[in-house]
Amino acid sequence: MGAEQEQEQLEKEKEKEPDENEDTMDRGYNLNDNVDILAEIMARLDGRSLGVAACVCRLWSTVCKQDRVWEALCDRHVIGGAGDPGTRSVVAALGGYRRLYRLCLGPALDRLTCSGETTNSDKQGWAHLSLSLSLSLFSIDCYERLEGKQRPASLLFLCKPVNVA
Amino acid sequence: MGPYGSDSTTIASAACSGPEMDAILAGAGFGTRLSGPCNVTNASDYSLPFNPSDLTTWVDSMLTDLTSATTANLPPQPIHATWTNQICSPLNPIDHAASHVLMAQQRKEEEDSGIRLVHLLMTCADAVQRDNTGLAASLVDEMRVLLSRVNTLSGIGKVAGYFADALFRRIYTTEVPLSTSEYEVLYHQFYESCPYLKFAHFTANQAILEAFEGYDRVHVIDFSLMQGLQWPALIQALALRPGGPPFLRITGIGPPSPDGRDALREVGFKLAELARSVRVRFAFRGVAANRLDDVKPWMLQATQGEAVAVNSVLQLHRLLTDPATTPAPIDSVLEWIVGIRPKVVTVVEQEADHNKPTFIDRFTEALFYYSTMFDSLEGSRPQHQRQMALAEVYLQKEICNIVCCEGENRVERHEPLAQWQTRLANAGLHPVHLGSNAFRQASMLLTLFSDEGYCVEEVDGCLTLGWHSRPLISASAWRAPDADVSPDDSSVIASNSNNCNIIINSNHNNNNNSSNNVSGSDDNRISV
Repeated sequence: MGAEQEQEQLEKEKEKEPDENEDTMDRGYNLNDNVDILAEIMARLDGRSLGVAACVCRLWSTVCKQDRVWEALCDRHVIGGAGDPGTRSVVAALGGYRRLYRLCLGPALDRLTCSGETTNSDKQGWAHLSLSLSLSLFSIDCYERLEGKQRPASLLFLCKPVNVA
Repeated sequence: MGPYGSDSTTIASAACSGPEMDAILAGAGFGTRLSGPCNVTNASDYSLPFNPSDLTTWVDSMLTDLTSATTANLPPQPIHATWTNQICSPLNPIDHAASHVLMAQQRKEEEDSGIRLVHLLMTCADAVQRDNTGLAASLVDEMRVLLSRVNTLSGIGKVAGYFADALFRRIYTTEVPLSTSEYEVLYHQFYESCPYLKFAHFTANQAILEAFEGYDRVHVIDFSLMQGLQWPALIQALALRPGGPPFLRITGIGPPSPDGRDALREVGFKLAELARSVRVRFAFRGVAANRLDDVKPWMLQATQGEAVAVNSVLQLHRLLTDPATTPAPIDSVLEWIVGIRPKVVTVVEQEADHNKPTFIDRFTEALFYYSTMFDSLEGSRPQHQRQMALAEVYLQKEICNIVCCEGENRVERHEPLAQWQTRLANAGLHPVHLGSNAFRQASMLLTLFSDEGYCVEEVDGCLTLGWHSRPLISASAWRAPDADVSPDDSSVIASNSNNCNIIINSNHNNNNNSSNNVSGSDDNRISV
């Protein structure tokens, strides 16, 4: 009885299998099932695209808010010392890469790229902001926040519109 | 230290809310006239028509031309009225040409008024120098009339307005010194609205960082702590130093707080908090002193084996006196600075000559310097009107000090870089070249700040930041000779003093208020 039942079950499962195979083939591969791959892709986006991606759905919003995604973005745009574990802990202590990009690097890069009426090679050089400078500015912002200021103002100068007249 | 009095006004330095700002502005003589958007015209419309290197001859020619005080040749009023009418009504092609002519005429009139204002300022200053108060007073009245017809929101009108006001104060009133909290607020607004102070801090930090290489115990003495905005960047840079951060001590010198609130200690708390978060061993000490020459070296507790950096941002000029008088307090201060054998002394000063013995020379220099300064302020266009207004008040206080005060009250005795170089070299300090890193960082900072007008230059290993090729602020670094020799034992005295001895050790997360705390505490090297 045991062997017959087993065989019955196996046959049933074999009957099921083709159906299940069809199901998975119909559904295809879903990126949302593989969050780490999603994060890897996000890590290659630029700042604005990351912001847009964060508005797609809750899952994407969570992934886009991970600091390592922003760390990869920041590392691409700075020269010197990026990816250092020491740097990572300092940035985390000061507020995280996402905040660093939002307050310092993003506006600074916008400012540098739009102010460059220079040749392409110059533009590339300028697209790499010094890590030490951006961290210095970031640390001042962190310091002002310690006071409990609602809107620390030391980085507002980066948001000013540039006069290109 | 400077024009701080023990004023009883208690204005919170942190939150800059509306009514408080109005109070500060009202105290400085501002009404609420700055309501509309700032009319930023092209500064070159109001450029003074002289060759800067030929200032003295120009002034002489102006003074000899004007023999007696004549009534102002006021521009006829009707032209203003028709110009505005023309603009308001729809223009047809014929009127177009006419309005262009009118606008050109308007500009020419304003230029003439600007020139006339400068003329009047010079004459009035000369009258003040000759103690001819009657003539000076009448000229001030004349200037006020003229100022009411000129655009005082920008350009020469604004600068002339401030100088005329300063002359008025010199003749009629005595200048009231600012309270500490008011000064801090103005300083903060000035810090945010233009890059001079940021440039100063970042360049000094770079020099200090380079000098501290290889040392495990470092000590920074800040001559003017204010809100400690310079130090977060240094703390962060030391945290990221290859080889790990050293044990950092900061000694902040500042004026005593009038209302019992210990401002120095609060700043120390915040710096300690920041240092704790980035895992830098940190200790802070505050020294309250009204003047720098009240500070004695033993209060700073410099110990053996630690690298000392002395940082002075816009402070040394307050120790100068009239060039003829000796000895000046600066000499004794420089002496003890050299005595503690610092690895680096960073000196940031205004690049101007406002300590000349004759009043008219000082006045002319100041007029030129602050015109450029105000131009740059307009050019960088700060975020809020209020911020710009407060930054202007900050500069106005300097102007008033230069123009109105004499003797001990005059503390804004700016001297140019060349004179500082001579003075510091005579005191026994050796210059340190600031290096290309500092230059690159400064250039990058300026590109971020604004891409118009500012220029960084290197002069003899010192950096200057200027506006349109006129340097306005200079940063230089120095070191004591034989800086590797360990300091004298006489400087190591753990003693009590009447000033606040506060050592806040961030690793223990508690406040050590005992003034018997021995410096050089080795037991604090606990890894968090």
